Amino acid sequence: MIKFFLNGTPVETELSPDTPLLWVVRDGFKLKGSKFGCGAGLCGACTMHLDGQAVRTCVLPVSAVAGKEITTIEGLGKPGEPHPLQREWAKLSVPQCGYCQSGQVMSAAALLEQNPNPSPEEVEAAMAGNICRCGCYPRIKQAILNVAGAENDATDPVAADLAYEVTV
Amino acid sequence: MSTARLSRRLFIKASAAASGGLVVGFGLGVPAAAAANGRPLAPNAFIEINHDNEIIFYCPRDEMGQGVDHGLATLVAEELDVPPAALEVRRPSVNEAFVNPDMGMQITGGSTAVKAHFLPLRQAAADVRALVLDAAALDLQLARDTLNTLDGYVVTATGDRYPYGDFIDVAKDLDLPENTPLKPAAQFKYIGKEFPRIDGLSKSTGTALYGVDIDLPDMHRAVVLRCPVAGGELQSFDASLASAMPGVTDVVEVTAGVAVVAQHFWQAKQAAAKVEVEWDLPELASVDTARLKRDYSAALTNESGVSASSAGDLEAGMSGASATLESEYWAPYLAHAPMEPMNAVVRINRGGEGDKAEVWSGTQAPMIDQGLVARALGISRNDVTVYPMLMGGAFGRRGTLTHVTEAAEIAKATDKTIQVIWTREDDLRHGVYRPASLMRIRAGLDSGGSISGWQATRVGGNMMPDTLGVMGPALVPNFIPNGLINFAAAAAEKAYADWTVDYSSIEGLVEDYDLPNSEVVHITVDHGLPLTFWRAVGHSYTAFAKESMMDELAEQAGLSPAELRLQNSQQNPRLAALIRLAGEQMENASPAPGHALGMAAHGSFSSYVAQVAEVSAEGGNIRVHKVTCYVDCGQVVNPDIVRAQMEGAIMFGLTAALHGKLELKDGAVVEGNFHNYPILRINESPEVEVVIIDSNEAPTGVGEPGLPPIAPAVANALYAATGQRLRSLPLELA
Repeated sequence: MIKFFLNGTPVETELSPDTPLLWVVRDGFKLKGSKFGCGAGLCGACTMHLDGQAVRTCVLPVSAVAGKEITTIEGLGKPGEPHPLQREWAKLSVPQCGYCQSGQVMSAAALLEQNPNPSPEEVEAAMAGNICRCGCYPRIKQAILNVAGAENDATDPVAADLAYEVTV
Repeated sequence: MSTARLSRRLFIKASAAASGGLVVGFGLGVPAAAAANGRPLAPNAFIEINHDNEIIFYCPRDEMGQGVDHGLATLVAEELDVPPAALEVRRPSVNEAFVNPDMGMQITGGSTAVKAHFLPLRQAAADVRALVLDAAALDLQLARDTLNTLDGYVVTATGDRYPYGDFIDVAKDLDLPENTPLKPAAQFKYIGKEFPRIDGLSKSTGTALYGVDIDLPDMHRAVVLRCPVAGGELQSFDASLASAMPGVTDVVEVTAGVAVVAQHFWQAKQAAAKVEVEWDLPELASVDTARLKRDYSAALTNESGVSASSAGDLEAGMSGASATLESEYWAPYLAHAPMEPMNAVVRINRGGEGDKAEVWSGTQAPMIDQGLVARALGISRNDVTVYPMLMGGAFGRRGTLTHVTEAAEIAKATDKTIQVIWTREDDLRHGVYRPASLMRIRAGLDSGGSISGWQATRVGGNMMPDTLGVMGPALVPNFIPNGLINFAAAAAEKAYADWTVDYSSIEGLVEDYDLPNSEVVHITVDHGLPLTFWRAVGHSYTAFAKESMMDELAEQAGLSPAELRLQNSQQNPRLAALIRLAGEQMENASPAPGHALGMAAHGSFSSYVAQVAEVSAEGGNIRVHKVTCYVDCGQVVNPDIVRAQMEGAIMFGLTAALHGKLELKDGAVVEGNFHNYPILRINESPEVEVVIIDSNEAPTGVGEPGLPPIAPAVANALYAATGQRLRSLPLELA
């Protein structure tokens, strides 16, 4: 029995301790936002936060997160109250198929937590572990830089745009 | 809402029913037994309006990232006068109403969606809006021509607003108007305008649901062991270790091999590794990449092949040339590698009247899902309901649906609801592939820089027979004849009969330029690795050969790349216009030290694209810094989707140009995951600028046409940068 915190809620799982966190979250706790892409930590579609750090959960045994705080894309923001990155993602129409985007957003959010004003090169370095087969990279980069810039400059027009309504 | 109006509604309903004039909506997905007053208005297959003014759009094409939900919703929104984001987009099951007008089947592919639906969907929506206005005029007892619409509301001359949903009961009793005039372009509110994708937020918050996210009560997951060499067959297996592992409920034989079933995917995957399997290997097992290349070369040297098309007098054109060039180009096998691996859920519902089945899958061809499940279970196609899901990428891969057959066979064998999930290794090693191609182009130039002769020969396998080999049986009716079968059967018959000159294999080799004396030759060499359509299909490799040769000819002729192309594209003004823009950019550019530019142009899927790539090659390390993309796709419905598709096709094409290859060893695909089948990453991705040509021509494809020019544009730029002419993909400097 392994206990951890999932999006702030204490949970426990009876799945085998070697089960990757991704499958515990998807099959066990039915949160489907985090995706399976490679099963080898190579594509980043499964990215979650472990105590605030971006981790590839398709290769992270659930035993490694005992007592830790796990945040998934569902815990980052919701359509009604999106994280600024999610709002900017929608505003710039970043996603195409969208399958990798949970992982992209989670990696980006962890980056901005640690480095609120990254350079374009720092964005590329932090996001290089996340593959997008549709090729949304230019927009991913722009969205992160927009949000970072907005958070550093409240008078930036982008900051005002963050309040815009997205209809779903 | 006044009492008088309610009475009026009841009166119309009663009189219409009495006269037998009730118009029956298409009502897909609406239970017939639902009370009439609770029923939504469903005057055609695409649009439903309910009493709460919820407006549902049944999108006839499936969403794989190309933005078809957004694009087709834009068409409906425009003519229905509803904001696109206010439409609820749903995916319909299989029905003749959702056949792709350009393809004759319910298939999403060939960059056809906007082209095929631009007028029919607008007409369907315009007619429904006219119906709502007719009903409103009757209901409100106001002159029809005093009423207008705005954002899903009927607006009166005095400014009163009524949701469309107020009038649906009246509308149900009226005839659906036909051929309602469409909006003139000057009045467009959404077509051609900029606004965010309607699915952007759901896809950024993890709330968009894909096939792999289906999770039904008591569903079990299956992992399938398949022969490492395509076409091999199961000889024997020992699952004694696997069966004893935690969570494992069944190990069963299926057509593809051995399926391990467990409560959870991870359990199934762990147990699958413990199954001992013996395979009967096919002849392909004797083939590796070196042998394959030797066979292709030998065929090119020794075989005359089949003449697929010809014009003028090739030999006269070649012998009269002042200079001739001959080059060979190589393109390897490629996998689609969509981020969402193949998966499918099948549930069998046992009943007194026979079994019925449901299938959930991200699919480019829902009717193929239906047919495959019907055949696997031995039931009628009409007893199979398909729920097409969002696709986490497809690029042609989700037209070949053997994973759906696997799920059906396992569900039948285990009597369980089954989700089959392929691993990434399964995806790369057991898929269907972009064929490898060896191409040779012989070209003659006259002294004025015109191409006097052009012979293009392509060696490789054909995609159509393998693709139809999976699709065909799914389309054969077992109980219920279906008009679509005739089309499919005819298409299959033609493709098989002509398969040595399958147009998909050679498309793009001669169409773009003025080639008065030309021939395309096809030599079929096929070692048995299954083949299918991959983004841009034949154009994905033919453009590399053709556009590399155009640069080689330009140098030979002493002309710039744009000049040579312009000289030879006088009968293709839309492509020539793009070449001119690309040429002007190259002419005026002042690239950074060590950087060089190269261009390529190519028409595909009725659209035209030219690209200029800026590259550097410091220390043998190829870097693409910027790509400028000029696209003429006719009238544009969503400019930002066009940009996104060009950006995406460039990235997809760069993965192929810089990294993409699958190697065979003993007939098996070597590459297994993203460490040895690398996908372009953000730190390698160039800046992309897209220039969309203003056009009043009919809209044409954008999902694929952005891909073909990128590999030759980069190869041509690398030649300019290094003097090395690279004729083999992926591009590697010496």
